Amino acid sequence: MDAVKTKKISLIVLFLVIGFIIPQFVTKPYYLHVITMCLLWAYLASSWNLFCGFAGQLSLGHGVFTAVGAYVAVMLFNDYNISPWIGMFAGAGAAVLLSILIGYPTFKLRGAYYALATVAIGSGVVVLIENTQALGPFRVGGAEGLIVKLMGNAPAFFQFMSKQPYYYIALVMLIIVVLFAFWLKNSRLGYYLSALKEDPEAAEALGINVRNAKLVAAAYSAFFTAIGGVYYAMLIRYLEPNAIAGPMMSNEMVFLAVVGGSGTVLGPVVGGITLHAISEVIQFYFGDLAQGLHLFIYGLIVVFMIMFKPQGIIEILQKYYNRFLGITDRGEDEKSVKRTAGS
Amino acid sequence: MIKIRSTKVIGLLLVMVMLLSLVAGCGGGDSKTTTVEEIKIGNIIPLSGSAAPLGKIGQEARDMAVEEINAAGGIKSMGGAQIKMLYADSKGDPATGVSEAERLITLEEVALLTGTYQSGVAMPSTEVAERYGIPFVVPVPSEDAITERGFKNVFRLAEKTSWRNRDQVTFIKEMAEKFNTPVKTVALIYENTAWGQGAVRAWEKYIPEAGLEIVLKEPYPSNSSDLTPVVLKAKNLNPDIIMMVSYVSDAALLTNTFAEHKVMPKAYIGTSGGFADPAYFELTGDNCEYYFDIATWEPDVNRPFSADVNKAFKEKYGYSMNAEAVKAYTAMYVIADALERAGSTDPEALRKALSETNITEGPSQMYASEVVFDETGQMVNAPLVISQMRKVDGKMERVSVWPEEEARPGMEIVWPYPGVGK
Repeated sequence: MDAVKTKKISLIVLFLVIGFIIPQFVTKPYYLHVITMCLLWAYLASSWNLFCGFAGQLSLGHGVFTAVGAYVAVMLFNDYNISPWIGMFAGAGAAVLLSILIGYPTFKLRGAYYALATVAIGSGVVVLIENTQALGPFRVGGAEGLIVKLMGNAPAFFQFMSKQPYYYIALVMLIIVVLFAFWLKNSRLGYYLSALKEDPEAAEALGINVRNAKLVAAAYSAFFTAIGGVYYAMLIRYLEPNAIAGPMMSNEMVFLAVVGGSGTVLGPVVGGITLHAISEVIQFYFGDLAQGLHLFIYGLIVVFMIMFKPQGIIEILQKYYNRFLGITDRGEDEKSVKRTAGS
Repeated sequence: MIKIRSTKVIGLLLVMVMLLSLVAGCGGGDSKTTTVEEIKIGNIIPLSGSAAPLGKIGQEARDMAVEEINAAGGIKSMGGAQIKMLYADSKGDPATGVSEAERLITLEEVALLTGTYQSGVAMPSTEVAERYGIPFVVPVPSEDAITERGFKNVFRLAEKTSWRNRDQVTFIKEMAEKFNTPVKTVALIYENTAWGQGAVRAWEKYIPEAGLEIVLKEPYPSNSSDLTPVVLKAKNLNPDIIMMVSYVSDAALLTNTFAEHKVMPKAYIGTSGGFADPAYFELTGDNCEYYFDIATWEPDVNRPFSADVNKAFKEKYGYSMNAEAVKAYTAMYVIADALERAGSTDPEALRKALSETNITEGPSQMYASEVVFDETGQMVNAPLVISQMRKVDGKMERVSVWPEEEARPGMEIVWPYPGVGK
């Protein structure tokens, strides 16, 4: 048992060390930018997974939360000079409120109806932002988008000239969300969620307040997603309603989490990093060849992955991980059976 | 059995990806060996997504210009160096634009960037160029803010959005005087996204300044299936002028509905976009006769080089240029001129050369008689031309009518609007 523990810890340490020393080796800003984007997408997919993966709810409107976080933080910064470091929590708070407002009526809906409701809310928010020029004293910018006020190199205001700080911030954000996901999965709420994922009626019958459990988990998810939105805003320094709130943002999160393995702690991380890396590599090679060829190839790879590994890429890694630890697949099965019985 | 096979496939895929990434890493290292005989220019344009057709025609126009420049001996002050174009797909997405700008600047080490069809991509990717101090020539995007951020490295060849609206108002005033038809009231009908909203802000400034009154401001969602309520609202108010911002399906729907309800203002004026789309004629038939539209270029516009370049383009690619293609084409000549004067690819020298641009001859004449940038990097006199939809030899055509010196010879403006089929 001790050997297994040592192996586990050494693996975690290895990944952390790799994570922290990457910028020492990757000096080209473009590569660092691509790796940073991989981390950001891994973070966003993990944030989506906190609620949607663990509770088995298909939200196709999480772009709403990135948008609310980003817009609140940027408006506070542009018009009141409040640092985005503080503004991001205001943005996340607004997203939490919104998640409750949205969740209260929609969590009664099941399956496709819930997914459809989130699509509708997502498109609605895009239209709302596109048609709002100003909100009281705040400039929203409507469909033309919102420029983040430029400060040059201003760490206190979340703006850096170099790519390295952005990388480290994304890395720390990812580590935090993974730790949080790990905690959530093994918490009482986590068990509630996996129970209601399997069978909401049975969960309700066991005395779980299904709606409350969903509301709390959705609030966590909205909080983290919104912080990701603020990060996006500060990295790109320009907000366009359709890019930050639209279907591309919402769907990408779902996509990465599902291909990586939704409902697991590390699946969305794996999905976010691998798929985004693949898409960048393909764009690098085929972006200027035939029109849209790179997107086609990307689509093919994703289809293959979903066809052959519907549980997500994490499934493959899990096997190698177990082999590395010296646990056979059967042993793992028995363990999980025991754990379920115990809880 | 199946399980084992699928694992192998996935494993193979992953290995492939890793190999690809490895090769990608090597590719980056190689690009340092830039020879002096070759000047790399990075282009960020939409090659996929909804604007892909426009990205394509922009790419073709650039390629044609570069072929001409290279064939004529390249950049002579640099020993006849040839221009090499590197294209990157923005997908019309701001974040992709940023990442491609990073790549072109830091990996490909391009001398200069150009492109972006959408303003939304231009905004953040020009900021990346500004950070690295690499000049960025923006031929098409028209959003005012692009050159209003105090950047030193951004040079825009296009007009600002608001200039179109300014010139429309000037045109109305001139026509009212010329034909002695007093004009007082204006109705504005526009699609409700960035483009329409921007136009309205400019109209709200210029129309009252000209002593006219806005009697109707009517936004509508693009791709509407029925615009009769909008048309009837305008009919009831009976304005002197109806101005519109529309994509093609709405432009056609408005035109046909106005004809159906026999609405008779003194003039209908479109703002490019849908009104300039070739499909507009097919969708409206004769209903669009006597409508006005504003653009930066028309195939029949009376400017030097215009007809010849368009003919060469048509022979090469099988269809006519559009205003965006003309700007992209002209941009390559402006860039070549700056390279010639800078005599090097040093970004600062290039920036300085661009800021001192003053071209009054050569193919850029087809776009503007004079290419000069002000201190914000904005082209000073981006020219605009107003055309009228007219039947020439039984076929509907866009006929350049204003300003007079650029008008098609032998065509008189029809003002006020006489009604359908008159």
